[in-house]
Amino acid sequence: MSIDNYRSSYTFAMDFGTSDFKFGPITLGEHPRIVNNRGYFPDKNSVMYKAFEATSDIIVGDDVPLYLQSAEDLSSRLVYPMRNGMIERNDEQAWRVVQTLTAYSLESFRPQHSNGFQGYYVVASLSSVSPRYMYERLMSAFSQNTYGMVRAVTVIPQPFAVAIGHGVTTCVVIESGHGNSQVCPISKYPIRAAQVALNRGGGDANAITSEILKDAGYGDLANEESLVRKVKESLGLVPEDLDRAIEEAKRSPRRVRARYKVPGTRVEIDLDKDSWSRFLIGEYVFNPNHEVFESYFNRGMPRPRDVKMGDTVFRGMLDFGEAIAASVERCPVELQPLLYREVLLSGGNFSWTVPPRLEGMAVDAPTKVKLLLRDRGIKNVSVKMTNSPQFSVWHGCIIYGFAVPESYEWDWQRLEGWMRVPN
Amino acid sequence: MGAQCTTDPEENDGISFQLGAEKAHVLILKPEDLAERNAILDAILNLSALKYTHQLVYLAAPRIFGAGIDAIVFRSRGIGLLLYDERRIDEAVSAQPLESKQLARPSEQDDRPVVAELATLKTMYFEMERTINQLRNDLTALHNRQHLHQDTLIPPSAQMITTVPSFHVDHTPEGQLPSYFMNNPWLDVLSKRGTGEREPIAG
Repeated sequence: MSIDNYRSSYTFAMDFGTSDFKFGPITLGEHPRIVNNRGYFPDKNSVMYKAFEATSDIIVGDDVPLYLQSAEDLSSRLVYPMRNGMIERNDEQAWRVVQTLTAYSLESFRPQHSNGFQGYYVVASLSSVSPRYMYERLMSAFSQNTYGMVRAVTVIPQPFAVAIGHGVTTCVVIESGHGNSQVCPISKYPIRAAQVALNRGGGDANAITSEILKDAGYGDLANEESLVRKVKESLGLVPEDLDRAIEEAKRSPRRVRARYKVPGTRVEIDLDKDSWSRFLIGEYVFNPNHEVFESYFNRGMPRPRDVKMGDTVFRGMLDFGEAIAASVERCPVELQPLLYREVLLSGGNFSWTVPPRLEGMAVDAPTKVKLLLRDRGIKNVSVKMTNSPQFSVWHGCIIYGFAVPESYEWDWQRLEGWMRVPN
Repeated sequence: MGAQCTTDPEENDGISFQLGAEKAHVLILKPEDLAERNAILDAILNLSALKYTHQLVYLAAPRIFGAGIDAIVFRSRGIGLLLYDERRIDEAVSAQPLESKQLARPSEQDDRPVVAELATLKTMYFEMERTINQLRNDLTALHNRQHLHQDTLIPPSAQMITTVPSFHVDHTPEGQLPSYFMNNPWLDVLSKRGTGEREPIAG
């Protein structure tokens, strides 16, 4: 393969994540620039807006905190366009934020035209469950507003980018974020017809954590989302076997006792004799079907439901083992063993650790997935985390943008290829 | 009774003499000083400044220095030039004394504008030197980059101009791809997109 000198400098990637927007050219190397995937619509009559002499209708990037005002203001003015990986077709505010972020990212890396720059090859990534209209809107945004900096653009699904960044051409990628999870088989191309989506993600782990805090007497803290998330990350565990873990934890409560001190405060959360409930947090993410969760549902905790978003049905109660098996079994039989040999986990919802004294009771995410598949009679499985969970999507987009020939034109049937942008 | 040698703690690189109300100063350059590019220029500037306090000022330099100097530089400023070696000292250029009234009350025709102009010229010279060095480094880098590509037998991209980004590169050394490119089979797979292999329909 010959090296394209131009694209070794002017390939550009954009990863539209649920919380973060990662972007930048290939020349950034390992790490992209990161800003929040959000935009703020300032009150033009406010003192702060006038003080900063802002002319923009939407503020994005690192300047957003400068404009934030009251908490009541946030709900209407601060927009997170991709909370569940998707944007509603008619959510014009959200689309304007995306367009502004796109312009912001390109403008951050505007080169000198005198150096022969003729526009970037831009690769954007979206959730694998993004419906066709999202591709249409995003492509349209680039076509209409190139800012003089785009030569060609394409959009690829995030799990596909993960596989490319990880360097595996045949695999199953499980992407799990805040709102949902997706199981995506890849074999040189995304096998879209075999994708399975789950209506369950890190936000659900927050929900069970909140209930646990209420039971432990911390009801006043249970409603603070950021605190609940930190408690989840500090105290949550994934059990090798939930029943055995609970039994052992109740027999030896000191072994699993957990405390979390809120930084900068005198507040300390101590689960004490209820520390066994730490295992519920991780189990709920991977398998919400255990009977122990029924009591929480009965008390009002929302049960993950099957929902349809766009063209995709998101399953609520399917455990990860069943979801992977269902996805793989939609693929050609000859391909299935190859897919099971490379199962990649990607996304913040798979970042579970095992405290040293709890080995044997708690496991990490790859081990849990392997156990769930074993319970379904699927052996010879290799499950691992992606090399760079935070940046693998961006890496994959860069490689795609670098390698795919310019002559490979965009096609709305296969949803791949370059769309040239007139300048 | 001849001139008396005065000792001044600030005059570390010369000797001052005084005879009555008249003062003379000799700034001495050693052979090793001549290795510094600006030593002579600094010496002339320093002596020019001393013209307000001393009637006679001299620069004493090794004889070898005399071969490469234009005496008019010293005569125009009234600075004397002494050349010395192991055997003798010769006065190559005589110093021109200032009139006493000029010392008592600096006139508008003093050397300050000349000194200021010299300082300006010095600054410009250094700036030019910096620019030339930068250009030299950039040219070397461009040549090296060209040789690297020739060595890897990359076919020329006729449609696109080979360019180097002008914006600051944070992490990737020039000419190198990031680590996640290494041994990545997708580079070969993706490079064959559109070459005729059967492609799935996204649906």
